[in-house]
Parts: sequence; structure tokens; C-alpha cells
Amino acid sequence: MLKQQSKYLQIAFNSSLEEVRGMIAMLPASEKIIIEAGTPLIKRYGMNGITALKNWWEEKLKKPGYIVADLKCMDRGSREVEAAAEAGASAATCLGLAPIETINEFIKECEKAGIDSMIDMMNVKFPFEILQKLKKLPTVIVLHRGVDENEKNREKQIPLDQIHRIKGTYGKVLISTAGGETTRDVVKTFFNDSDIVVIWRSFYEAPGNTAKLAQDFLKLLK
Amino acid sequence: MKIRNNKNQFKSFNFIIIFVFIAFSINETLGVIFIIGAYIFFVVNQETFNKLYLSNYLKMTSKLEDDIPKDDLDILKILSKKVRLQKRKKYLHIALNSTLEEAGEIISQLPVSDRILIEAGTPLIKIYGTEAISRIKALAPIGSYIVADNKCTDLAAREVEMMASAGANASTCLGVAPIETIDSFIDECRKFNIDSIIDMINVENALLVLKKLKKLPDVVMLHRGVDETELSTEKQIPLYQIKQIKGSYDVLVAVAGGDTIKEAQRAIFNDADIVVVWKNFYQSSTETAELAKSFLKEIK
Repeated sequence: MLKQQSKYLQIAFNSSLEEVRGMIAMLPASEKIIIEAGTPLIKRYGMNGITALKNWWEEKLKKPGYIVADLKCMDRGSREVEAAAEAGASAATCLGLAPIETINEFIKECEKAGIDSMIDMMNVKFPFEILQKLKKLPTVIVLHRGVDENEKNREKQIPLDQIHRIKGTYGKVLISTAGGETTRDVVKTFFNDSDIVVIWRSFYEAPGNTAKLAQDFLKLLK
Repeated sequence: MKIRNNKNQFKSFNFIIIFVFIAFSINETLGVIFIIGAYIFFVVNQETFNKLYLSNYLKMTSKLEDDIPKDDLDILKILSKKVRLQKRKKYLHIALNSTLEEAGEIISQLPVSDRILIEAGTPLIKIYGTEAISRIKALAPIGSYIVADNKCTDLAAREVEMMASAGANASTCLGVAPIETIDSFIDECRKFNIDSIIDMINVENALLVLKKLKKLPDVVMLHRGVDETELSTEKQIPLYQIKQIKGSYDVLVAVAGGDTIKEAQRAIFNDADIVVVWKNFYQSSTETAELAKSFLKEIK
């Protein structure tokens, strides 16, 4: 499970399993690194993909590591959460855009399965409105900009100012920020009090530099 | 055929080579002069050279086709043809969400018809990966229409490519996704010649989403989540929206139609093109054939 006071680096893997295996082998063995099975990877390989990542990361760390299944639940959360937990995930994601009933169900199911719940606020204008409606708080709130949006529309920004506001109101939740890519972005998000930073593009585009990139990012965490 | 005509030109190419050899055996200088001459000839007439080279290539490819028996060719044509939805036809869309074993059981009881669409549901895709789609396609009768309910929210290009290459005839994208994602999703679907379905789950007004798009999708799906319906029964599918959408946009409309043939009829009566059923099929596969058969009989 995630610790409150610690900062984490989450690396999302979206490419083919063969490539992912090599990239994981190159990562420095650190508990501060969270491995994410990205949505395309799950849709391509199913639960086998999650189990593979779990095994490879465990091999590298020499103990069970933290794996996030980026399910992006929209409906029927219980079925998907159950399967992901069984496959070895330590956390699963649900869309903030989903019906409130689904999010509530999802958080309940995650607790039942003993994994962390993450709510992905992609394309949600006011995360507060959703948080207010929930029966129970999730473990992590992900502030997110979609890749497609980012590419076609440069003006939209991750609402970093929201991090403070959410943490001020709901003290216990962790905040994860996704969508930034450069070291500058990472510094900025940590400076704004984010607990987890999610990156993928820099690793995807330069698999050879994976080790160096991860070490650079880990240095920033301290 | 064009390939056959090129054969003669290819023969003349062989003829030139033989001629050069003969010239070489008579006199070495004569041979060298001949090679230079032939080289200059081909540089000047590069088009002829391309033709000769191409004819060789075409001969190889056409040979491959000759090796396949004629009967198999028809099957290949059927398999490689992407089935698309037609306007003015009414479809029954069956969502498979439990396990692949149960999916096989349900498919085996279904009547064969081009008006039945088979969907690989989101849980199936997330649990088995794209294998769910190719397995269902293999279980279903040849030429069946397979929908991949991947509920795309981001990275549309990659997901559509995965679904299309696994054999899906249609892919779904969420209406609540960023507009940029939906636009790129529709573009990609056209590129891979599959139908694009926009799933309007948790969207209050589908028209507002359609208005913002650059191009229209093939199908708009009006949808109520399962969690929602189970936990708060007051929410209803807005059937009046079907006519609104069809009035302003040239798209097919799919509606989650409930459990019984009466409810399916009501949806069709309200001008829906596709009725989606899942509950019955999810629970038991015995009533499956019944509903599908009565749908085919009563709704033309």
C-alpha cells in the first residue's frame, strides 16, 4: 500500500510485452517506482499482461512491487476489479466521468478486494463536484490530461492549482498527476504538492535511456 | 490480363542477356561494348526497365494466387471482406460479458442471420485482451458482425488498430471522452474500414457531443450503465432522443433495449436501428435463441 508522506514515480507501459520486459529490466530497483499496466496494454493482453508485469517487477525488486491496473472503469466495476486484483494488481483506476453509482461500487469493490482505488479525473472540469457526491473517498485522485487532447490542443493545462484545494478539503487522499513529461513538469507537479507523478512518453520514445531517465526522476523525488 | 502481356517483354529481357553472353564468347571487347550499350539503353529508357522489372515481380505474385485452389479463393474473399452496417435494416445486438466458455454456449444457440450483431463486452476484452475478439469471431458463423466494446477514452489510434486487426467490424468510444479523442477515433475507424460507435453512457445530451465533432460516427449508442440501472431504477433511457438525433444527423441509433421482446419492439417503434440486449444472455443461455428468433420473426 502507498505511504502518505512519500513521493512516487509512476511509469505507464503501453507498448508490447516484449518491449516492456526489457524496459523493466533496465529500471533501478526502487520501491518509489510504481509500474502501471496502461489501458491499451490491458485491452491487448488482458489480465495476463498485469500478471506478467507483476512477475517481472518482482524479479527486479526481489520483493512484490506496486502495480497499477489502468482499467478506466466506466461500468460494471465489480467484475473488472475482481479480475485485476486476482491478476496481482495493487490498485485499479475508475473514470471520474463514470456514473456516480459506478464509482461508489468501484471504491467498495476495491476495499473488498484489498487494493487501492484511483479515480481518474480525465476530462472532468470540476473534480470537486464528483468528490462531493461520493459516499466514500478513494485512495488516490488522478489529475489527468489525455494524450490525444495534449497532442491536438496545447492550451489545455493540468489544473495544478486544484491539488492544494483538494488536499485542503479532503486531507487523506493522495494526488497523482499525469500528463506532464519533461523534468520541468515533474518538478512543477511535486512543487505543487502532488504525491505521485505519472509519466510514459519519455520512456516510450527512448527505451534505451530508460535507466538513466528513471534515475534522474528518482533524484528529483528527494 | 495485363500480367500475361508483360510476359513477352520479360522474354525479350532474357534474350538480351543471352545475346550478351554469346558476344562475350566470340570476343571480350565486343561483349563489353554490348554491356555498355545495353546499360545506356536502359538508362535512357528507364520506363522499359521498370516494366521489365515489374513484370518479374508481378509474375511472382500472380503465381502465388495460382497456387491457391479456386474454391478457397471464395472463402478468402468472404473472410477478408469487412461487413458494414446497412441503413434501413433493424439489428439485434447481443453483448457477451461473462466468460468465453459461456460466450461459446450462447453463440451456438443463436440463429444465423446478418441481422444479429455479436459484441465482445468490455469485461471480456479487459480480462482476455484482444484474444476475446478473435476467439468470438472464430466461434461465430463465418461472416458474422463482431463489435469490440473497448470503450476507448484515450490513445484512440492504437486501440482502433488493435481491435480492427483482431477482426472486429466495429469499435466503441465513450461520448464522455475528450472531443479530440472521439475525432481521432472516428478518423481511425474510417482508415481501417470498420464502423465507429459512440457510447453515450452518462452523457446528458447526446446532441451536444455530436455538434462538436468534426465528422459523424456511424452509430450513436444511447446507453444506461448496469450499475446505474441496478442501483437507481428511476433513471430511464430517453427514447425521445432517438428521433431528435436521427432528425438532425444521418447516423444509426442503438439503444439498450431491456429484457423482453416487448421492450425491443418499443425501442424499434421509437425508430432505433439497433437494439442491444445483454441481461438475459448474461444470466442464462436457454432463453437466448427464443428472444433472437422472435426478434427476427417479429421485427423486419
